[in-house]
Amino acid sequence: MPVTRLLYPLYQLGNPQLRIFRPNWFLTLVRPGKEMPPDTAQFRIPMVMTKYDVKNYLEKIYNVPVGTVRTRIQFGSNKKRNHLNQKVKQPDYKVAYVQLAQGQTFTFPNIFPEKDSEPTEGSMEEVQEKFMEDEKQKQKLDPRRGGVTEWFGL
Amino acid sequence: MNRNKKQMSNCCTKALNMAARTRLPLLFPKNLPPLRNQQLAHTQAAVKEPSYPPVVASLTAKSKSARLRQVEEQIQKIRASTVQEKIDYITRIQREKFVIYPQSFSRNPDKWYQHFTKTAYIPGLPEKFSPGEEQPEAAENSPPAVDHHQGSEDEAFRDIRSLVTRVILQEHWHLNKRKVFLFRKQEQTVGPLLRNLVAGLTYSLAKYNPLIPLSSLDFNPQVNFYWRRGQRFIPKGHRKGRLEPTRFQIDDHPHSQIRITQQLPQFTPMEASYSAEVPEITLAPNVMPLFRRQYDNHIYTGSKLPDPACYGHTQFHLVPDRYHRDRMARQQQSDQVEPFLRANGLASLFAWTGAQAMYQGFWNHEDVTRPFVSQAVITDGQFFSFFCYQLNTVALSVEADSDNPRKNLLWGTESMRLYESVQDGEVVGLDDGVIKLLVKFLMNQP
Repeated sequence: MPVTRLLYPLYQLGNPQLRIFRPNWFLTLVRPGKEMPPDTAQFRIPMVMTKYDVKNYLEKIYNVPVGTVRTRIQFGSNKKRNHLNQKVKQPDYKVAYVQLAQGQTFTFPNIFPEKDSEPTEGSMEEVQEKFMEDEKQKQKLDPRRGGVTEWFGL
Repeated sequence: MNRNKKQMSNCCTKALNMAARTRLPLLFPKNLPPLRNQQLAHTQAAVKEPSYPPVVASLTAKSKSARLRQVEEQIQKIRASTVQEKIDYITRIQREKFVIYPQSFSRNPDKWYQHFTKTAYIPGLPEKFSPGEEQPEAAENSPPAVDHHQGSEDEAFRDIRSLVTRVILQEHWHLNKRKVFLFRKQEQTVGPLLRNLVAGLTYSLAKYNPLIPLSSLDFNPQVNFYWRRGQRFIPKGHRKGRLEPTRFQIDDHPHSQIRITQQLPQFTPMEASYSAEVPEITLAPNVMPLFRRQYDNHIYTGSKLPDPACYGHTQFHLVPDRYHRDRMARQQQSDQVEPFLRANGLASLFAWTGAQAMYQGFWNHEDVTRPFVSQAVITDGQFFSFFCYQLNTVALSVEADSDNPRKNLLWGTESMRLYESVQDGEVVGLDDGVIKLLVKFLMNQP
């Protein structure tokens, strides 16, 4: 944890005797940009987190067996300019590569799978799709004219 | 006027053409059969094949074929040169290369190293060292002590056993050592132990193995190897989009090694390796992770070229404190102990054996004609693991590897415990099997 004085609420509604304090850190699991070995997961983590923090975080909170953690800091681009021609800095972030232990593997799930289902007969979606298709057909040029523009001709 | 002239001239050419046509018969074939032509030539013997120089690509143009020709010329140049020059040419150009540390910090490094060195791993030791083959080994033992039998051999073994005990006690009982420095324990306690052990063993076995008196025992030598394997497209920069071979460098520091003047015999014939399995890894090496640096490329066996003891016998390695099994257990990485040792044996032996092959003039485009063999022992003082390596090929780069069925072979044992502990000036639980294996390794001879 960073060296800051933590002020947690002394009283909570109902005054529960068991209080669980969790770090106010958020890890983002990201899809790796380059191909990674199957036992490696990639995270974006807060700058102040160290690799030991990541290891403890994953092991204690999520019970994930962690083999090794490697971190690096990604420099955010400082090349962009705004409309006043001032430099605009993209924020830096820390990347953690976590290798899992005990032969576990991880593949990033496909979050947006392709919709394969046909719309049901007579539904609003089907009508809309049909209409769009017709419109597209109307927009198309006459194939018999062989690509000659509309305005040319008698 | 002008127009008239033109018409006139046109008419004239037409008339001429017509005249020319009319002279030939109408049914005259336009392309004459070849035989008729040859019949006309009655001086066949005098006809000489024109000797043109072969059509080759330019050497200086800025084209792909010119680049190919330059590469080919370079290969021919290296082929024609002496060994010293060969190594010089091969290591001359510096580029960014992956540095392989034999004592690797990454997880499961053995699979990666197998791919980089095209080595198949065979658990257990080759048949030569398997425990069932005691008798031939004994027969090999005996020639100096001509017709002596079990008795003298037992005596010799007892001597060696007492030597091992002495060496262990010396380090752990007789010596009163100061507190070791942080993370230098292996170096400061097991280093001297191994040194005494190797020196003592080679001395006492010199009677039985005629190679050892001629051998050279190096302490803290340096072994380097540089090779290319695989290729990649350069992603950015002014050379973007070009193919670049991936280069590797091993810089190894064994604890000690024995070099001999004759080559060790092969463990299996080369053809046996054709069916062996090498794990194929398609990922880039830098996700292993492996890092790239640029510095001098080195190929070195631990001795300079004119040294007559140019073949490898056995290497001894020390497990550094950082990868000691107790520390690994504390970090809950006990499953990584064996892969670490395997990777260490593999990388060290490949580097050493490959460098030996290079010293004999073999390289990427001139593959080895005979297998090269070396052995290694890796220890942390208590646990010993044994490795044997047979180098069947050094043609590892993409262009040389395309239809090369040969694979390098590595045999290795799991780590075996030499003794339990030292109590009251006694070594408890000394394992004879490990000592015997050590002796067998050192007795290996052509």
